Amino acid sequence: MATVTSTAPTIQPAVRARGIFSWRNRQLMIAFLFIVPALINFTVFRYIPIASSIRASLYEYSLLRGLRDFIGLDHYARMLNDWVFWDSLKVTALFVIYKVPIQIVLSLALAVLLQRETVGAGVVRSAVLTPMVTSVIVASIIWAMMYHSQLGLIQSMLGAVGIPRQAFLSDASRALPAITVMMIWKDLGFSLIILLAGLKAIPHTYYEAALVDGANAWEAFRRVTIPLLMPVLMFVVVTQAVFSFQVFVPVYQMTQGGPLDSTKVLVYYIYQQGFRFQDMGYASALSVVALIILIIVSYGLMRWLRPQT
Amino acid sequence: MKRNSLMMLVVAALLLAAYGDRAPAEASPVGDLNSPAVDVSAAQGEAVTIQFLTIDDEDMLLATEQMIAAFQASDPQYANVSIEVQSVPFEQLFPTIETAVAAGAELDVFLADGPDIKHYAYNEAIIPLAEYYTEEELAEWVPQSVEEGSFNGTFYAPAIMQSCSLMFYNKDLTDAAGLEPPQTVQGWTMDEAWDAWQKTTVDDSGDGVPDTWGLRWGQGTYQGDYEHGIMRRSAGVKGSPSYMGIGEDGITFQGYLDTPEAIASFEDYRDWHQGDRAVTPQEPIDNIFFSKGAAFYVSPDNAVGTIDRLYPDGDFNYGVTGIPYYADGAQVCHTGSWHFGVSPQSQNQEISVAVAKFFAGPEGSKIWYDAVRQLPARIELLNTLPEYNEYPQQLFNEGLQTIGVPRIQTPGYTEYQQYFGELAQDIAQGEGVEVEALVHETAIQMEQALAKYEGWQEE
Repeated sequence: MATVTSTAPTIQPAVRARGIFSWRNRQLMIAFLFIVPALINFTVFRYIPIASSIRASLYEYSLLRGLRDFIGLDHYARMLNDWVFWDSLKVTALFVIYKVPIQIVLSLALAVLLQRETVGAGVVRSAVLTPMVTSVIVASIIWAMMYHSQLGLIQSMLGAVGIPRQAFLSDASRALPAITVMMIWKDLGFSLIILLAGLKAIPHTYYEAALVDGANAWEAFRRVTIPLLMPVLMFVVVTQAVFSFQVFVPVYQMTQGGPLDSTKVLVYYIYQQGFRFQDMGYASALSVVALIILIIVSYGLMRWLRPQT
Repeated sequence: MKRNSLMMLVVAALLLAAYGDRAPAEASPVGDLNSPAVDVSAAQGEAVTIQFLTIDDEDMLLATEQMIAAFQASDPQYANVSIEVQSVPFEQLFPTIETAVAAGAELDVFLADGPDIKHYAYNEAIIPLAEYYTEEELAEWVPQSVEEGSFNGTFYAPAIMQSCSLMFYNKDLTDAAGLEPPQTVQGWTMDEAWDAWQKTTVDDSGDGVPDTWGLRWGQGTYQGDYEHGIMRRSAGVKGSPSYMGIGEDGITFQGYLDTPEAIASFEDYRDWHQGDRAVTPQEPIDNIFFSKGAAFYVSPDNAVGTIDRLYPDGDFNYGVTGIPYYADGAQVCHTGSWHFGVSPQSQNQEISVAVAKFFAGPEGSKIWYDAVRQLPARIELLNTLPEYNEYPQQLFNEGLQTIGVPRIQTPGYTEYQQYFGELAQDIAQGEGVEVEALVHETAIQMEQALAKYEGWQEE
């Protein structure tokens, strides 16, 4: 036994093999093999399309005619004077500003309530989670019917409490809030489930300690729950901000960007330029700008919400 | 860190090199159309599958199913040709064709809207079929259909039907309002019609929202150019800029879309939807005429087929009158309808051409007509159908000949239509909208979007 033990180090690859076959390199190779599937996925479905978009944004480009003249940064210069682009950016920002805070506050409140397995918690949880697994196109069609100024279910409900009929999707001041409400309903389950998991991961001993120190429920929530939930909150806020920035389907289905461009979000405008106006080069430039904005916003949010030590 | 940066640069360079000078969306070149090589399998009776893209209209899908069966039975060599039908909503047809052709997806034959043929031809997304038709065969269609299926003098796409929108009315509702619409193409002026629409806009329940509306202008719920673009052209006298609708270069809209009379017509359009004189819902209601929720309905005669299908017992008492027009302008109905196009990337071009020819031929057109009930594009069929010599369908035939004008001719029709649809929606729904400024701004946007087609008539 002793002999075996004493000779073992002499066969260590790190000692015997050097250069590219060293133990460290082999470990790196194994690690690399593990990430190859993800790398292929990201390369094929993310990096190559992004590189293609950047390239296409420098050309006159339509789907049917392919790349034509190289025009450098002309598409980007065009954006400066394109008021529809700036309007769509504003509409998108409004949508994110309306939706994300309300959704996070609602889902956090629900998560705190549902954390305790009280009577009816399962029913509420199911009710909130069901929209999450509903197709967004189906949800959009149903909500458009519910909002209809004449035939909508919501009109009947308003009528029952004496409120006259309201135009939602055909009113420029109400169309975006109407879509926002629908999307909060749709996405609430996603943030709820993550926050709920985050809450359950907080050790109960912290609350006990806070109680011993004389903290009331609000103080425990503020001093214990929020700080310890911050990494999860950061994830939810960033992902929801990014997803909301890319909203498209409800706009396409419910309003087509109208009325009066009041719901023309940036991604819908990109779609319109690329597939309706045959200007894929400009659509690519808009996409590149959208990507840059998203990177900046995500970075800013992560910095802002980074847990303080 | 340096090594990582170097690797990223190498990867980026490789990616860009991989995408080199190749146009990522080059359409396949149009091959030798008479080459028999591509169709050897079919000639030998082997199984061939043709991909056919159409719209998800119930009547049209029914017709397509029957046409496929008839095509397979028409010749033993086509017995093993199966045709897979994909259907998309009308609004998605154009981008679906574009994307399919650009991506090299399997697509052989597609249904194409008449005004889009020039766009497809300009972009080589459709193959010319001139070699497959003799002059005599082309003369079997009404001239508007040949013109709409051609680009710069070359024939590309055979038509399955023609169209002219007139005004249907629910006779029970007009009788209740004491109205007797004239059963002629000339019909009512816009003022007379508006008066009738107001009389048939009825709020029985007294809740402030009409239970029956006076008007539904246009098919479906989309506010496209086909029907909603008629008013602005009707506002001008024949030959005027308003009536022409677009400059002779096919890309100019200022001075055509935003003339004073056209703007006045758009203001009327707003008032149909909003305010005290509203006669149609601000938010469109699908099938409102067929469900007896509207008294008048501007549509081509395919509404006859729909009524027959929905009310097989004849429980829908309807009539047809002329399309309303501005007394100071001209009466207009837009012509043009569906055509069949063959994709340049079809691996079975000979069979695809045979499918398109059969579908648009005498037998296919008859099957289509029986299901869809809309004005045929083939003269012989039009002349042999007794209903087109009798009221009400006789009016559509007469309307096509007397007041029918093609929609604006430009390869940028889809871009135009997109802007027009937005304009119509904004005018109908935008409270307090400044119509004149909006129309003028839209004309500028249309010109910017179509500038890329400058000189298309010389290509």
